[in-house]
Amino acid sequence: MIKLVNVSKEYIIDSEYTFYALKKASLEIKEKEFVSIMGPSGSGKSTLMHIVGLLDKPTTGKVYVDNKEISRISDDDLSKLRNEFVGFVFQQFNLINKLTVLENVMLPSIYCRKELDFDPNDRAESILNDFGLSEKRNSYPNKLSGGQQQRVAITRALMMKPKLILADEPTGNLDSKTGHEIMMLLEKLNKEEKITVVLVTHEKDIAAYAKRIINIKDGEII
Amino acid sequence: MKNLIFIFRSAIDDFSRNKLRTFLTSLGILIGVFAVVVLIALGLGLKKYISDQFEAMGKNSLFLVPGRVLSGGSFTGGVSSIAGRFDDRDLQTLKKINNVIGVAPLAFKSTKIKGLLKEDFGDIMFSSETFSDIMGLEVDRGRFFDKSDVSKKAKVVVVGSKIAEDYYGSDEGAIGKKITIDDVKFTIIGVTKSKGGGGMGGFDYDSYLFAPYTTGFIFNPDKKFFRLSVKVENENYVSQVKEDIKKEFLKRHKDEEFSIVEPTELMSAITSIFSVLNLILVAIAAISLLVGGIGIMNIMYVTVSDRIKEIGIRRAIGARKSDILSQFLAEAVLLSSIGGILGLGFAYLSVLAVHNLFPAYIDLTSVVLALGISSAIGISFGVFPARKAANLEPVEAIRYE
Repeated sequence: MIKLVNVSKEYIIDSEYTFYALKKASLEIKEKEFVSIMGPSGSGKSTLMHIVGLLDKPTTGKVYVDNKEISRISDDDLSKLRNEFVGFVFQQFNLINKLTVLENVMLPSIYCRKELDFDPNDRAESILNDFGLSEKRNSYPNKLSGGQQQRVAITRALMMKPKLILADEPTGNLDSKTGHEIMMLLEKLNKEEKITVVLVTHEKDIAAYAKRIINIKDGEII
Repeated sequence: MKNLIFIFRSAIDDFSRNKLRTFLTSLGILIGVFAVVVLIALGLGLKKYISDQFEAMGKNSLFLVPGRVLSGGSFTGGVSSIAGRFDDRDLQTLKKINNVIGVAPLAFKSTKIKGLLKEDFGDIMFSSETFSDIMGLEVDRGRFFDKSDVSKKAKVVVVGSKIAEDYYGSDEGAIGKKITIDDVKFTIIGVTKSKGGGGMGGFDYDSYLFAPYTTGFIFNPDKKFFRLSVKVENENYVSQVKEDIKKEFLKRHKDEEFSIVEPTELMSAITSIFSVLNLILVAIAAISLLVGGIGIMNIMYVTVSDRIKEIGIRRAIGARKSDILSQFLAEAVLLSSIGGILGLGFAYLSVLAVHNLFPAYIDLTSVVLALGISSAIGISFGVFPARKAANLEPVEAIRYE
């Protein structure tokens, strides 16, 4: 589904020093997989995830989405892929605090240009209900607990029926009990909804939820 | 469409969270639009006021005044009578010119007037029966003096409505009564309809008395007039008649001793002076719109910096550059439009407040102009901050703390 070939990300610090966040990384993620990208902080795993999630473009190398090379597609088409193909879950939840829970969840549908085969409001309400967040739908995110906020973020990620969910340290800001609840939720989505999940973490027990673990260190996949 | 509604709704949400900031930011535009609209309204009012003053004279009139009247200059040149005055022969000359259907000479007398209730100084205009026609004077009660009154040197007088009120208590009370003008008794035969006005370029006819010029020779033994008004058969002959009068008058007078004035000419000269003046004022007021626009740009830059993270989140979940651009542009346009609408509202209230004193008014053009300019300012000053927001790298924006 997603393939990276010899992908490097360079940051030119000055004329003498170039920092490689990623060095010739190659990997392939197949449909319905549950993959963890594991490595210590500063290893380049977030950069890798941003490239996989089409938020960032590599300096060199090629990225394929469904066998289509994406380095030359327009910014608008990338936005469209992020909107319809990927769902993001972040460590800091990244909800918009001035919007209500329901508005946050529905936000991706606002940016969708194509005709939807579902009613965004119904879908948002039904997922929130599944996650036990119905009563919070008109609350603002900063009034919720961390676990609740992360579940709202997952609801938002699911809104557009993505094929891929990218979770960047989703448990990093949660206590371990809540963290495991969130992981079980992701595991369930992978198993029951057949959604591909890519998880970035530095915690071994969190990474262990995945069926495959990719280790990364100093920008290189090992 | 749903996108647009959403964008405007979230902008309004944002404003209601920052009411003070929103108000202060729109204040610049508010003041600018207010100043521009009020000044345009006053300019329009002035124009209307001047044209009302002249309109009554009709387009088929000409005025002869002694001396030079500078183009666009004062209309009071005759009153000062620095140059010589016209006499009865000039009057007869005018009557003989083709297509002239009426001539009204004008002589003034300021003297003591005694009525039933009051004795005071007043002004009498001595003229012919054509005067009411040329000056657009209407008689409310009784009649204006006619040709035979003029030829008989009848001691009749038509009084302004204010005079009737002041000296006899009412219009009805004045008709048929005697009034003493400088110890000569006159009979009041008519009361004019109130015209209002006075001041610039016109007389307050309500406070004048009108009598036949022939009768006026009692007070005016040398039979001089400081103004001669001519009524031409129709407006197409005006320029021809003007030429003919000039030719005839040059036989007796030097070129600089008299002027022939067309009311429309004079009016357009006066109007154009005030229009230029008004335009300068409006242009100065428009500078405050520019300052208001800069204020909006400044606040929009602050807003973009405040919301880098939010922009990153929106980009991550699929917002295009154009979505971000239109979101911030919409906020800028909304900010300036709020200012524009409020400014227009205040301008309307101000114009309403002065309306009784001065015929200022807001026309559709200024409404369209005010709203158009304020949204144009929003777009042109909002586009730079909005582009900055749209061009943020998603990955950097979302990492921003």
